[in-house]
Amino acid sequence: MPDTMLNMTVNGRKVAKPINGQYRLLDFLREEVHLTGAKEGCGAGECGTCSVFVDGKLVKSCLMPTAKADGAEIQTVEGLAGRGELTALQQAFHKTGASQCGYCIPGMVMAATSALRENPYADIEEIKERLGGNICRCTGYTKIFEAVELARDVMNGRLPATALDPDGAGESYIGNNVRRLDAPSKVSGALKYAGDMVMQDMLHMQVLRSPHPHARIVSIDTSAAEALEGVECVITHKDVPGKDGFGVFVHDQPVMARDKVRYVGEAVAAVSAETHEIARRALALIKVEYEELPGVFDPEEAMQPGAVVVHDYAQDNVVKHIPIRKGDVEAGFAAADIIVENSYSTQQVEHAYLEPEAGLAYVDHDGVVTVVSPSQNITHHRHMLSTIIDKPINKVRFIMSPVGGGFGGKEDMIYQGMLALTAMKTGRPVRLVFTREESILSTAKRHPSRVTYKMGLKNDGRITAVSFRMISDGGAYGMSTEGVMRKAAILSLGPYDLANVEIDTYGIYTNNTPSGAFRTFGAMQAQFATESHLDICAEKLGLDPFEIRRRNMMKIGSLTHTQQKLETVSIAEVLETAEAFCRWETGAPTSRGATRTDLGGPDTRASCTLGARFRQIVDDKKQEVA
Amino acid sequence: MFTFDHYLCPKDLREALEMIERLPEDGKIIAGATDVVPYAREGRGGDIHFSTIVDLSRVDEFRGYEIAKGKVRLNANVVFQDFLEDDELRAHLPCMPYCAIWFADDQVREQATLAGNIANASPAADGTPPLLAMDAEVEIARLVDGEVRYRTISIDAFVHGPGKTRLEKGELICAVTCRSMKGYGGSFQKVGQRRSLVISKVSAVALVKTSADGRTFEDVRLALGGIGPVPVRLTDIEDMLKGQAITRRLIAEASVIPADRVASRSRVEYRKRVVRGFVEAAIEDALVACGAPMPTEEQREAAHA
Amino acid sequence: MARRARGRGMAASWYGIARTATIDRAGAWVEMDDGGTAKVVTGVTEIGEGILTVLAQIAAEELGVRPEDVTIGDNDTARSPEAAHAGATRQTYMIGNSVAIACRDARVKLDRELADHWQVDAGTIKAFDGEIWAEGTNKRMTVEEAIDLCKKRGVVPVGSGSFTAHGTGLDPVDGSGAPWQAYVFGCQVAEVEVDTLTGEVQVLGMWAVHDVGRAINPRGVEGQIEGGIVQGLGQALMEDYQLDKGHTTTHGFAKYILPTSLDIPQINTKLVEDRDPRSPLGAKGIGEPALVPTAPAIMNAIYDAIGVRITSLPATPEAILKALEEKEAAALQMTG
Repeated sequence: MPDTMLNMTVNGRKVAKPINGQYRLLDFLREEVHLTGAKEGCGAGECGTCSVFVDGKLVKSCLMPTAKADGAEIQTVEGLAGRGELTALQQAFHKTGASQCGYCIPGMVMAATSALRENPYADIEEIKERLGGNICRCTGYTKIFEAVELARDVMNGRLPATALDPDGAGESYIGNNVRRLDAPSKVSGALKYAGDMVMQDMLHMQVLRSPHPHARIVSIDTSAAEALEGVECVITHKDVPGKDGFGVFVHDQPVMARDKVRYVGEAVAAVSAETHEIARRALALIKVEYEELPGVFDPEEAMQPGAVVVHDYAQDNVVKHIPIRKGDVEAGFAAADIIVENSYSTQQVEHAYLEPEAGLAYVDHDGVVTVVSPSQNITHHRHMLSTIIDKPINKVRFIMSPVGGGFGGKEDMIYQGMLALTAMKTGRPVRLVFTREESILSTAKRHPSRVTYKMGLKNDGRITAVSFRMISDGGAYGMSTEGVMRKAAILSLGPYDLANVEIDTYGIYTNNTPSGAFRTFGAMQAQFATESHLDICAEKLGLDPFEIRRRNMMKIGSLTHTQQKLETVSIAEVLETAEAFCRWETGAPTSRGATRTDLGGPDTRASCTLGARFRQIVDDKKQEVA
Repeated sequence: MFTFDHYLCPKDLREALEMIERLPEDGKIIAGATDVVPYAREGRGGDIHFSTIVDLSRVDEFRGYEIAKGKVRLNANVVFQDFLEDDELRAHLPCMPYCAIWFADDQVREQATLAGNIANASPAADGTPPLLAMDAEVEIARLVDGEVRYRTISIDAFVHGPGKTRLEKGELICAVTCRSMKGYGGSFQKVGQRRSLVISKVSAVALVKTSADGRTFEDVRLALGGIGPVPVRLTDIEDMLKGQAITRRLIAEASVIPADRVASRSRVEYRKRVVRGFVEAAIEDALVACGAPMPTEEQREAAHA
Repeated sequence: MARRARGRGMAASWYGIARTATIDRAGAWVEMDDGGTAKVVTGVTEIGEGILTVLAQIAAEELGVRPEDVTIGDNDTARSPEAAHAGATRQTYMIGNSVAIACRDARVKLDRELADHWQVDAGTIKAFDGEIWAEGTNKRMTVEEAIDLCKKRGVVPVGSGSFTAHGTGLDPVDGSGAPWQAYVFGCQVAEVEVDTLTGEVQVLGMWAVHDVGRAINPRGVEGQIEGGIVQGLGQALMEDYQLDKGHTTTHGFAKYILPTSLDIPQINTKLVEDRDPRSPLGAKGIGEPALVPTAPAIMNAIYDAIGVRITSLPATPEAILKALEEKEAAALQMTG
């Protein structure tokens, strides 16, 4: 679309520019007007990181063709306050700690601004509805709600402006609610994440990914892609000069697929070109001949003899088995009054950080290969990259850009290698920004789990023995599976003092999307089973859920399941505090919800029925009548 | 990613029709654009290149609405947010605010048009069931020998399959005209997996008018969405209720019937079970909107005893 | 059964701090700088948890300056010491303590010069919020003046710190070992409302009690707990990455369902501060442990409300109705 001239007013400034391949308003604002406060979290109108005002109405700029905004007045997050200033709402976000990674925050600030413009007296239900198009993955929204209510009351005069001031130092800065130092840069849209960064003469990278879950690569022909005007370089595994392979525990994954692909979405080749659009067109010109192989998609099937083998080095498809043994389990079960068995499972979960993966690489004046990316582990990444590109460690430099949410998902070095190789091959800076779909398709997930549980107990609730077995689908590459299996095993049986235990966790290779590090590293899957199982046992024994846990909990001097002697243990205090804090009504967990008297307190919210804004109108009318 | 060579913004209907008459096969007509952009993504349509996009959002005749002679004419660029914010529309189309509040989120509602929603004819479209219940007619324009010609078709005939409508090449939806439902109580039920940005699994709409004493159903209009290839109007249930005294038991009895209408390819048992309760809840909520008291749980249970 | 049924459930949890079953370490450099400011350099940056603010608080406390006077040089393998990865609930514990140690090292140099200047015992020198003084005397100046004085005496007050957490590997046969030197404990209670018509579960309240050791920034800790709970809620009720023979069917956020602002319970938090005896600060951590008990607490609450036990996550509306139907069928068989 070369010929269309656009006129709009952006943050009060006239902008007259041709649409230069920026098809969506979001791209135009970010790339032509250089306002990167609006982000692309999903590109499909499902997350709100790109919210901007167009003629006074808040819209998702990723859904708006650029030409639609011709003649419009645009306001972005950068235009809400004067330079170096913050609006009352932005100050409230700062005060309450409403920003964490900050990637959703420009959009969230815009949605909150819109909410209070539409209704300066909006109640909390209406505020929640009006923020309903903006996803936050870090904060749990709670501090955001607090910020919007605080700003509302300052703006409508119910509270003085001093309510936005920081708390004092008190007597110590430890234990003090010091406001986040990075919040002003986040609430104003000033902070640059990797995908917001540009360098002169920068190339744009796109990655060709495997369409097959398991296939042998017969040949890769990149000639047509390389011949396309504007394409600077195409790389494949052949461009790796050193020892190829990365991973958190076992280096089983090549930078790009070598002789075979093991999951759908695995990188096969990468194109770098003058524009993003040319790079995408070039992807379609790469010819890869695959010979499809049978795949294995279920971890228990993968454990059977004769199953499809995913990696030659692991003929049994086991990434890691962690056993823990303590005491005499047989004797423990024999001494039990009841034995309760059950099984549990959890699903694969996506990290869904709002910032999709992005990175920038260049070779500096001293020949140092430099990668800027939201990596959660730059120390380990530089070790691995130095081996892959065969350079001394001080010729490899990793810079950790602000991370727009990680939760473990950015510990794997799945794209930094391609960036480094391209920068080395071309001598030019190169940037790669994942789409949301690419991020979901190609990056690790939380391990799904299947647990079989057997617990023996005395009638008084004391646990005499536990047998716990967990099988987890590790997917196509090892990533963090080994560590996840270890942590799951160690923590599986919870904070309970158990004499006789038998724990086994297995991480298994399949041709599924890899599983990797994800906040809790296996502990939530395992303890979900334990904590569900304890309630089942409590019901059978007629014990209150707090009580059955108290009767088994660890104490100072207890030996953990791995036989470590504990020096401090706070579980007794934690349980006691929680029970009082929530006003718990004692009783066995016998589905007694209908008769409980501790429900619906002031520390709960109302059930959500949509339409808060017109409920208020109805109420107003009733008042008028009265 | 979506790309295009030309982007056209016609200013009036004639210009729009001329443009779409010349629109090549790989051209695209858009209004709010909230469906086409997400479609052009990996996992759905992938990268799509359009030679020409015709954007209808500036067509003069498509702006606003008119209310006359018991009818509400919604011109093609009325967006979902209008049903929440416009007092007149809320009074005449009392089910629409409840429908709109469940639709996507505030920002998408500012862009997404009702006409676009029915033109895309998704089985889960939120806009169609209320239109069915309000006897809506779709006004369609095209050029014949340089003259603008109109035809009108009822909404139930217009949408005839998933993604399928009676809109022909060269035609545009100009307006959707509904019966004014002023004086009715309206409601809309929907369930997905969360409370905002919900893609509907099942939806139900009810419009109820009671006699002056509030004891009899004077008129009842019901429709379901998300239960098969197209949304359905429940005329048989409406007939069972019309003219009858309003009792919990009658509502409960009538509500059991439409589970048979579930013709989806997936989640059939789930949808059947939800539909049963949804029709009842929709009628109850519409009655409450008419001024009736909300039934208690005891009354509900008694009705099902 | 009433259409909307409510119930409550609880779950407890525990977690280990920093890397598992290995020796963990982190380093930091500190310089007390002109104008009463400070530079802290360490090899890791913010992933949203608030670590930069926590480090600034620690440095401010140790050096006697204000958090806003602290500049953090971070995130660069070529310019900063190793701090390893941003994960494993190790940031506050590992890097916080290494910064504290580095600050104390810098303070020794500053205090030595000042003690000599004032002719007092270095142990009597205290500093806070930009002021520095010798206890029991009227000797006092600003930290800015103290740094200036120190430099004029030829000394740049710099320090370095390395902190170690001693974990041991597990025995390959019986798994015995001491994987961490610090543990935290938690308990959460959920209150839910189940719509028995649609199967939809709304979590109306959560109570979260967590031992975090000494809380450096209580509001930041609350933020971590709230975020963790909502991730746990997402996994409990809606999130589900699905594959069909290795091909994902949940490509984007229209199919991969995340909690929105309308799905959030009221979250009530209380901290238990059982200080870690093995580190200078006494802090432990909260990033990961916050979401461990959430899903089981919600499942236990669903059982309390409607008597169905969901053992396979997520508890979608469809899964809830299916379980209810099975329960009803079983009850019919019992009576019939």
